[in-house]
Amino acid sequence: MRLHAALSLAACLAPVLAVFEDDAHHIDFHHALLGLPKHEATFFSKPYAASKASLLYTVSQNGTIGAVNPKDGALVWRSPLGPSSAAHLRFGEEQDVIIGGVGNRIVAFSASDGRIVWETNLKVDGSAVQDLEILEQEDGITNPEAKDAIILVDGAEQGVKRVDGKTGRVKWTLEETSGDIPFQISTSPTTIYYISLHSPLLGGGSKLRVSSLSPITGKKIDSYQLSSEAEIHTKDNILFAGANTATPLLAWTDKAHKVLKVNIIGTKGISTFNTPISEPVEKIVLHAPNRLNSLAHFLVEYQTATGHSAEVFHVDLKRNTISKAYSLPQLKGKGTFATSTANANVYFTRITTDEVTVVSSVSHGIIGRWTLKGSSALAGAYPVHAVSEVVVKDNSASAARSAVLFSNGQWALVRNSDIAWSRPEFLSTTTSAVWAELPEEETLAHELEVEGHQNVVAAYVHRVNRHIKDLEHFPAWLQNLPTRILGNLVGTTGDSTIDDIQHDTFGFHKLVVLATEGGHLAALDVGAKGKIVWSIDLHQFAPEASFSSPSLKAFRGFVEIKDPSLTSPLLINSTSGSQIVDRDLTSSSPVTLKDQKLITFDLVDGELKGFLGPEPSAEVAWTFTAPPGEKIASYTARPAKDPVASIGKVLGDRRVLYKYLNPNLVLVTALAESAHKVSIYLLDSASGQLLHTVAHYGVDTSRPIPSTFSENWFSYSFTIDASSSGAARGYQLVVSELYESPLPDDRGPLGASSNSSTVQPSEVRGEATKPHVLSQSYQIPEEISHMTVTQTRQGITSRELIVTLPASNSIVGIPRQVIDPRRPIGREPTTQEQSEGLGKYVPMILFDPKWHLNHVYEVIGIRGVITSESGVESTSLVFAYGSDLFGTRVAPSFAFDVLGKGFNKIQMTLTVAALFVGVLFVAPLVSYLFENITEEDILADKQLQVQRKQINTLWTT
Amino acid sequence: MWTSLSTIASLASVASAARFMLHVPATPLVNPSILPSTTHATLQSSGPPQDAYITRSNSFNFNNVSVGSYLATVHCRDFAFEPLRIDVTLEEAVEGSGEKKEVVKAWQTFVGNEWENKGENRGQGGNGLVIEVRPLGLKAFYQERTGFSPLSFLKNPMILMALVSMGLIFGMPYIMENMDPEMKAEFEEMQKKGVTGSSTTDTAKQIQNFDLAGWMAGQTDTSSRGHSPAPQSKKK
Repeated sequence: MRLHAALSLAACLAPVLAVFEDDAHHIDFHHALLGLPKHEATFFSKPYAASKASLLYTVSQNGTIGAVNPKDGALVWRSPLGPSSAAHLRFGEEQDVIIGGVGNRIVAFSASDGRIVWETNLKVDGSAVQDLEILEQEDGITNPEAKDAIILVDGAEQGVKRVDGKTGRVKWTLEETSGDIPFQISTSPTTIYYISLHSPLLGGGSKLRVSSLSPITGKKIDSYQLSSEAEIHTKDNILFAGANTATPLLAWTDKAHKVLKVNIIGTKGISTFNTPISEPVEKIVLHAPNRLNSLAHFLVEYQTATGHSAEVFHVDLKRNTISKAYSLPQLKGKGTFATSTANANVYFTRITTDEVTVVSSVSHGIIGRWTLKGSSALAGAYPVHAVSEVVVKDNSASAARSAVLFSNGQWALVRNSDIAWSRPEFLSTTTSAVWAELPEEETLAHELEVEGHQNVVAAYVHRVNRHIKDLEHFPAWLQNLPTRILGNLVGTTGDSTIDDIQHDTFGFHKLVVLATEGGHLAALDVGAKGKIVWSIDLHQFAPEASFSSPSLKAFRGFVEIKDPSLTSPLLINSTSGSQIVDRDLTSSSPVTLKDQKLITFDLVDGELKGFLGPEPSAEVAWTFTAPPGEKIASYTARPAKDPVASIGKVLGDRRVLYKYLNPNLVLVTALAESAHKVSIYLLDSASGQLLHTVAHYGVDTSRPIPSTFSENWFSYSFTIDASSSGAARGYQLVVSELYESPLPDDRGPLGASSNSSTVQPSEVRGEATKPHVLSQSYQIPEEISHMTVTQTRQGITSRELIVTLPASNSIVGIPRQVIDPRRPIGREPTTQEQSEGLGKYVPMILFDPKWHLNHVYEVIGIRGVITSESGVESTSLVFAYGSDLFGTRVAPSFAFDVLGKGFNKIQMTLTVAALFVGVLFVAPLVSYLFENITEEDILADKQLQVQRKQINTLWTT
Repeated sequence: MWTSLSTIASLASVASAARFMLHVPATPLVNPSILPSTTHATLQSSGPPQDAYITRSNSFNFNNVSVGSYLATVHCRDFAFEPLRIDVTLEEAVEGSGEKKEVVKAWQTFVGNEWENKGENRGQGGNGLVIEVRPLGLKAFYQERTGFSPLSFLKNPMILMALVSMGLIFGMPYIMENMDPEMKAEFEEMQKKGVTGSSTTDTAKQIQNFDLAGWMAGQTDTSSRGHSPAPQSKKK
């Protein structure tokens, strides 16, 4: 009940600023990403046996298991199990459960909705799932209910386990103590094969050891070794250890990819084939069907530097021999193959950059061929790996669809000859994002700058020239006018938000440049639902660099990329994605830093140091060291671009509290882990002086302590530790405001002086020059991982604190009034305080669902949120990045300068028309009245006028 | 003191770990099987919170929960859930036996209140305890647009007044024309006497002289009409 009261109170306090239902999904976008899909764990499958449509399942390289609707590419469900080098996903035939193994977790998901069925964790720390297979048949009989899973464990604990398909309980464990390296498991209807690498002590190659286990007891039945020491040196030399085919295969190659050796698991014979191509083969991939009842045919793909080719092999089950059936011709350029089955038949789909062809495994005749239509998202990219489904009627493929991962990180579905959808999965590891100015704006800004620096006449001529040049767009504009007006009136023709960047009158279209862990760089248009404008691979500019966490910085017209693996920062044109080589061309000042900063600061060896000059140098101006026992965790400075509309805050009685507006404020967070203490220091970055300090005890220092700074206020949040003696538990949000003086209409000791020194703010006049700090703290129901503040053009619009809540996967905008530290405590606000919008202080803030910027979207893994001004004062652009990307725009004081969708243009037109009709009706009435006026009336009127004139002359004379 | 207590707690946690389950019951408010798969519950005490995602049976399983006092929160996209306080302690099953067992207790808790301020008990028991978590309500994300509707326009009293006077202005002559001749004559007579043309002070006087007692006594309408000219004549 109390909660309800609090909820309603919170609702009363702030004007509700929610997303409009008709704006949702139009002004915002969400890229719900999985990450780059892994080839061996990507497949089409029916979510349950009776289902008509199948879903596309995958586990990504960052350990997210998910299902995608193959029709439109929409995410059905996903579950991030956490990053791990080895992630596996298997699906039993005719099951409604999908089993994934990531790290030390084995989880069974309901295939249709992603709910957990059971979960088992490996008991020994440091062990991880190395392989996972479903036991399709046991003694040749299929268990229709729940199929058990066989897992191979590597790491601290090594061995094979059988996990119950219903409960997740471990049925038996075979511990591996021989010192072999576990590699893979493979199941056949009667036995489980466990393949390990047996390395001799004296170096050299490894032997393959195949052990057959009893599915019922897990006991080792038999074990034999294959002499592979000439070829196998690492696990990478093994190409394939066949999954659930009737004839599980084991294939490996040598270092130079010259020989292909294939063994049918369970037999000791090794078939050797030579690579058919004369030029060096870079990679060999073996594609085999993984169905129980499919034909024992497989395809070997040979990739060279210039092209690719393949050979198809047949396995003779009776004689246990492998023979080459036919070969597919070598094609120039990159391509990939995918296997699909229909009943017992096996089909191979070949996908190249411009063509999709389907062949049957029986003969080399092409039974389906489609020419790929180009797509802008896939320009210049080649297929890396694919999975496919083929519909075959009367020995010809009538339809084929393939989920293809392209080299530029796009995961696309190729349906016959069309690209049905593409998902920008490479963006799921975004580490840094910055706003970049659009080219149009930039050129205008540049021209205006030119005009500003010329004399009046020259500037005028320049301006006239500019306007004449603008006229060339006039005919096109005129042509578009009727359609635009019609579209505006009807309001339904397409999305008015996805206009061209050229038609961007409100400044909602802004480019965000993103850098990913893998070294990709992309630019997104936030106003056009996150459309990718360009994307490049940074390795083309720095081939030897291995990017780990590139960071970006925006300058006018270009972005600077820094990474630990780069010797010098890369400069990339922010409008085209091309590299800028000549540094001199771009020596203009950064966009975000208009004024040259004289003192910069950085965290060096646990100390915050201020340097003279624009770059960290040897000239240390000041040093801030945390007290003993404390460690500086982070620092937050006031944004360089932080316009303030008013220097004071007008109180209810029209008096003014003057804000402490120092551009050089830095908030330093320091932690004392043993004492569970967090200290907040407010520094002046020009002088390095300490202006304010506050400490909180009983804080969980292992949890994030985000902070932000804007205008004259800052806020931070922390988690209360369970061991603390504090009265309350949970999470706290603290907001502090800085004023020049505690008294209204008073500017403090510096008020009277005409100039003051920022280098020595408090030394000259003592403590009184330090800001007056008002603080209030609130209990919040959830942990905050990141916080920032909205930005608008002039700073007139009230601000909103934007916090990221990782637990509920949301981003919340808290209105500034709610967290005003001047809320009266323990009493109702007076009328004057009410007129300021202050409500009574309550110790908690419950996040109103209406504050959620993301509404029904679930934004996972957000690393940061950036905000930017738009073209209109009321609106701020918000972009969140991390594993998901989310962009929207917010209007903290309502969209007062833009007509929203609530404005009905048809109604307005109708009203005007109705008024016009009314005038038409009333006009005869008026003329009728005039006609009835007699001559006498006119005469009387004239007399009156004459009299008035006489009086007037009397007065004036 | 606190550190020593926590070390004891950590020692105890190594020795034992409780297992319990949060369950979302089917209520008229929410059918738990429609909750999205991202619904999860967290147990927070120190360090990273323990996390459990919703299972097919609408529950959150927590295994290996060490001794301590936890804040349990259910995070769901569509519904808000009440927070719980869950305490895991080691207690002797039989006094003096020395054999200790985990005991799990759950209460309601309130954001912004003291931790000791516990609400209703939500369950108590040993390992395998099932604690019900109740949804508080649907999350309403969207703001409704206050669009223009002709009906709300008509509800405005000023508009209503204007409409009535409009009706009188335009309707009166029409009514007059359609009146039967007798009534018309009477009306014209009244007009001549100046009833309709009387000034406001007269009407004020009329109100002042209103025979309340007579009206309360239920004098009929017809008689009052007959009387109406009387005060006028009195005045003259």
